[in-house]
Amino acid sequence: MRFAHIADCHLGSWREQKLRELNMNSFRFAIDACITNKVEFLIIAGDLFNTSLPSVDVLKEVVRHLKNLKDNGIRVYAVAGSHDFSPSGKTMLDVLENAGLLVNVAKGRVNNGMLQLRFTIDKPTGVKITGLPGRKGLLEGSYYESLDRESLLKEQGIKIFVFHTALTEYKPKELQAVESLPLSFLPMGFDYYAGGHVHSKLIAQPKGYGFVVMPGPLYPNNFAELEKLRHGNMLLVEIDNNEIKPKELEVKLIDVLKVTVDCDKKAAEQVNLELSEAIDSLDVKNKLVLVRFSGVLDSGRVFDIDMNRAFNNLYSKGAYFVMRNTSELHSREFEQIRIAANPAEDIEVQLVNEHSSDLSVFKDEKAVIKELIALLSKSKVEGETNTDYEERILSEFDKLIGKHKNI
Amino acid sequence: MEVVGKLIAGNFNKLLVRQKSDTEIELGELLVAESSRERIILQVLDLAYGSQLSQQNLEFVSGLSLEGVANAIFNDSELRNYTLAIAKSVLTVSNNQVRTPKKLPRFFSDIRRVTEADLSFFSKPNSGIYLGKLRSGSKVLDVDVWVDADMALAHHILISAQTGKGKSNLAKVMLHNAIDSTTAGFLVLDPHDEYYGRHHKGLKSHSSASSKVIYYTPSEPIPGARSLVINLKSLKPEHFQGVIWLSDPQWQALTAYYKTYRDGWIEAIMLEKALDTNFYEATLNVVKRRLMQVLSLSVHEGKLESRGVFSIESGINTTKDICDELEKGNIVIIDTSSLSKSVEILIGSLISNEIFRRYKSYKYRGELPNKPVISIVIEEAPRVLGKDVLSAGTNIFETLAREGRKFKIGLVAITQLPSLIPRDILANMNTKIIMGTEMAVERQSLINSAAHDISMYEPTIAALDKGEALVSCSFLKMATPIKVPLFSDIIKKNEENKISNSFAGVKLD
Repeated sequence: MRFAHIADCHLGSWREQKLRELNMNSFRFAIDACITNKVEFLIIAGDLFNTSLPSVDVLKEVVRHLKNLKDNGIRVYAVAGSHDFSPSGKTMLDVLENAGLLVNVAKGRVNNGMLQLRFTIDKPTGVKITGLPGRKGLLEGSYYESLDRESLLKEQGIKIFVFHTALTEYKPKELQAVESLPLSFLPMGFDYYAGGHVHSKLIAQPKGYGFVVMPGPLYPNNFAELEKLRHGNMLLVEIDNNEIKPKELEVKLIDVLKVTVDCDKKAAEQVNLELSEAIDSLDVKNKLVLVRFSGVLDSGRVFDIDMNRAFNNLYSKGAYFVMRNTSELHSREFEQIRIAANPAEDIEVQLVNEHSSDLSVFKDEKAVIKELIALLSKSKVEGETNTDYEERILSEFDKLIGKHKNI
Repeated sequence: MEVVGKLIAGNFNKLLVRQKSDTEIELGELLVAESSRERIILQVLDLAYGSQLSQQNLEFVSGLSLEGVANAIFNDSELRNYTLAIAKSVLTVSNNQVRTPKKLPRFFSDIRRVTEADLSFFSKPNSGIYLGKLRSGSKVLDVDVWVDADMALAHHILISAQTGKGKSNLAKVMLHNAIDSTTAGFLVLDPHDEYYGRHHKGLKSHSSASSKVIYYTPSEPIPGARSLVINLKSLKPEHFQGVIWLSDPQWQALTAYYKTYRDGWIEAIMLEKALDTNFYEATLNVVKRRLMQVLSLSVHEGKLESRGVFSIESGINTTKDICDELEKGNIVIIDTSSLSKSVEILIGSLISNEIFRRYKSYKYRGELPNKPVISIVIEEAPRVLGKDVLSAGTNIFETLAREGRKFKIGLVAITQLPSLIPRDILANMNTKIIMGTEMAVERQSLINSAAHDISMYEPTIAALDKGEALVSCSFLKMATPIKVPLFSDIIKKNEENKISNSFAGVKLD
């Protein structure tokens, strides 16, 4: 018996049309791989969509592909992730579930304040699947705290737990700042833990648990991820006589070529020349070209580098798409505020770093601003009235300001 | 305002108050002598009988009564026999400004009980450690007692009490409140596994526990816990100071291995790898044996194997992760209940050394003001700060006790035997929370090293009941009597106020 496991598709996330297409084609690749490899079912461990309300175009394509799976007798089981989950608890997965295209396996009942999850049984194979959604700000942490683990442990058979949460013990170094829960929050006794959320691969077998697996994103979600991962990833998991064998399958649709342009201590004209020469020697045909500029220009300004001409050259040589990143490029003549092309948090931190010196209300401005941003991002807790929510935020605001006043 | 007595005699440190017949003044009670311009707060340090009759007459009258010769009835007994309270001026309050008393209250002043209004100067600092409610005798006043967190924590806190008097309860109350009221980070070495709440209610019941309370355990992790696994490569020879006892040549061998093999030094000792320097075989054997014992290591077919919390493969980031959490102002609890004393101290030493190293470097780079104070909570503190331990060699905890405050690192030392801690270290602990202590030698060691002159408080300290404490702190104006609330009551209140989880995103039946 074989099943497939994908996560973090983030369909609809890219602004550039060609990358949107690559993103959607990755999803189509995964669907085709499921059919070709004759999997019994597909697990989507959160963030199928990039937002809780995806565009009609994206939805239309997803429905078409899921219908294709259904027509081939392949079942789809999913949970919502932090991106495709709205604070009201509604998710587009409900629409797809009502259309019979997938099953959201986060189901259960509340008994004395404890959450008792119910298994969804994949009838042809008898595999039992349940899971929990991921939410922004790690709000799903309270679900794990209230989880009735005994009933899950007692259940017999092959069991899969689907989740969308970063695990503290397995966070890669570059994602140390991402909020996470310790592994011990996962209920024990499952054969396979189908995870998502962290855009990095993981296959582990911690003591007391079955395989804890994260495939990484189905397609990279930003410039830095494209540089690092180049392609997306999915997993084909074989279950043979109760033995589980996860196998990675690279979702490689197009070659990625990374070009680094070192501009340090050079004049803009010199960079133009070197760039032009470098491009001449590159084979870029049908490739996604990532150009990263770095360093401090000795003379000339950043926009004196004729990127358009360089990119037109690349396109004329048949490049599929060209992306640039100038976050590490500076000029002595004209310093402008630059931000990393990284996730929102990085941008916030960088902006705060660049502007906090203008302020002098608190001693540690940066820490206060960071904490304030986190506080003001807090969502309403389910069941909380608007008044209670306002009071809670105001009270936490007072506490925060009070705490920093005399530091 | 009800008058409970009159000031009738005494000197600056020993004022005599005659108690009004229909009232009862208690030991430790706070009283007020008021004039038109200021109030002087007194604290009762002792109680005694007073009588207009001579001792001879009292003995005679009591004999008549006991032997049934006559039923002794005093005329005007409430005038002739009375209670005297021996009190001390502790504060002068004028226009809500508080200062140390420099003069005597007016002779023959009316004395009344203290009220909450008299104590409005007890305010909450912006970043504070909550200790409990102010206590006057056995009466608990609705006045919260806080100390400035950054100052008090960096200058060390000592919590002293006999078993069962509420030391751990106080520490839990302090930590629970610190989650909301301070930016400080706390490292708790927990030899009884009682702080997080594996077996009973603990800090995990705080509403922010999932992000603010980090729990490491070598036992099977409960939900929310992290596995305590430390890579052997994290260890350095200095971490073993105060953990294992070695002779000078044995220490030299340890250091020589570290210099030669750096982070692979322990493996090198175990596998008996060569050194440039010559050591006696017996010396190397002792070093190897001691390390094997404390780290639970063995060598099998020329390969190093580990069984305890120290691992050859995993746990390389554990120390870093713990220090990062402390720097974020979180509480890190290490469950050491299943570990030997030496392993517990070794882990504490490893983390404390790393934090000390980081903070020294922050100070050097001018970044220290932006860092939170870090406090290390040590139960049974004489295990690392005892005279006998330190006489055999120094350790990181002694260094922190002496120098930590310059680097914003403090200790919260919990003990029932403060007399075992050297006097100069005790004196460095500027906040002493003294709970019920029946042994005179322990009381004396606390009195002799307190921030205030509490030499006359010995009867008060001896009479402290469960949960009652006397706080002597450089950052409080007076030796402050408190009543510590029960941690279980705080948790119960939290649970009553908890917003029920609706589990949005989970389809409920």
